[in-house]
Amino acid sequence: MKLSSRIYISVALLFCAATALAQGSSPAITVLPIQTPVVARGHKAPLHISLQVNKGFHVNSNKPNDELLMPTVVHLSPPEGIMIMNIQYPDGEQLALPFMGNDKLSVYSGNFAVNAEVRVPAKAALGTFRAHGEVKYQACDNRQCFPPKSVPLEFDVKVVKAAAKRKSTYTASSPHIR
Amino acid sequence: MKRKVIIFAVMVVVVAGLLIMAKFRENLPGGGARSVAATKGRNAPDFVLTDLQGNNVKLSDLRGKAVVLNFWATWCPPCKQEIPWFVDIQKRYGSQGLQVVGVSMDDGDQKDVARFAAENSINYPILLGKEKVAEQYGGIDYLPTTFYIDRNGVVMDRVFGQPGRDEIEQNVKRAIATRPRS
Repeated sequence: MKLSSRIYISVALLFCAATALAQGSSPAITVLPIQTPVVARGHKAPLHISLQVNKGFHVNSNKPNDELLMPTVVHLSPPEGIMIMNIQYPDGEQLALPFMGNDKLSVYSGNFAVNAEVRVPAKAALGTFRAHGEVKYQACDNRQCFPPKSVPLEFDVKVVKAAAKRKSTYTASSPHIR
Repeated sequence: MKRKVIIFAVMVVVVAGLLIMAKFRENLPGGGARSVAATKGRNAPDFVLTDLQGNNVKLSDLRGKAVVLNFWATWCPPCKQEIPWFVDIQKRYGSQGLQVVGVSMDDGDQKDVARFAAENSINYPILLGKEKVAEQYGGIDYLPTTFYIDRNGVVMDRVFGQPGRDEIEQNVKRAIATRPRS
């Protein structure tokens, strides 16, 4: 490899490192791509919302240990005629920080997921519909906290025909059913 | 050849710029890009804010005292950790001309702030913060953020985050040690 090529590669690598450093890190939650729930009419399907807290930060869990702390909450606006129910948050990690003494914070850090159920009525229209929402959170690191923020999210819900019911071999007239 | 040299030189300058920027950001929490010099060494911007009893408090009325101006919120655990220290520091240094002033950046119910102040026996004024005042102080993107203001109303230091009691007390002593201009 020529010397000039080596120099260019070195400078390019340095450039990448310097860019990463200059960007720094912000206390953001990132909503990872949400897989489209495919729901048959008259049925339900799970919804998984995967979230990622930037390295070095944490956010309060959905059930912080102090009532004055702001919980992480996912608000969802489903498409008309579709229901999103039973939103489940993971338990928080109990985090001890030097400034907290014996108290602990209930937090999420790294990756965590919020799960829910998408329910579609039997007479819902077929097709793909866009749902919207937001994640409200309040982040801190080991020394300071950042004002509450929210990050939008959206995903599609695909409504399909329910599979035809299989005919039961047992009928009311069966001699085995009384 | 000449073209290669120019490209190389430009790349070096860009990388150097990014590294300098990165170094600058190291001194700021959360990767903020705000200059500390925005207020340090300059007169503390004056403001009037309301305290928990509904009284107006004007910062410049405290001229002659060393002021610890602490921006905090009830939802901020490191802020809450500092508060008993400030209560104690106010007790110890109040007679030497120190005045701690808390500025709550809570958006929610004022009652939460008042309840917290009562529960923690806060012995210094708690003012209800406004975004306009936060902007005067360079924007308060991180809590706690504390300004140490000398007896002449000049910002001596601005500290992001919770630095530990010793550092707070050292800054307080420096602020008290200043002499008011006649």
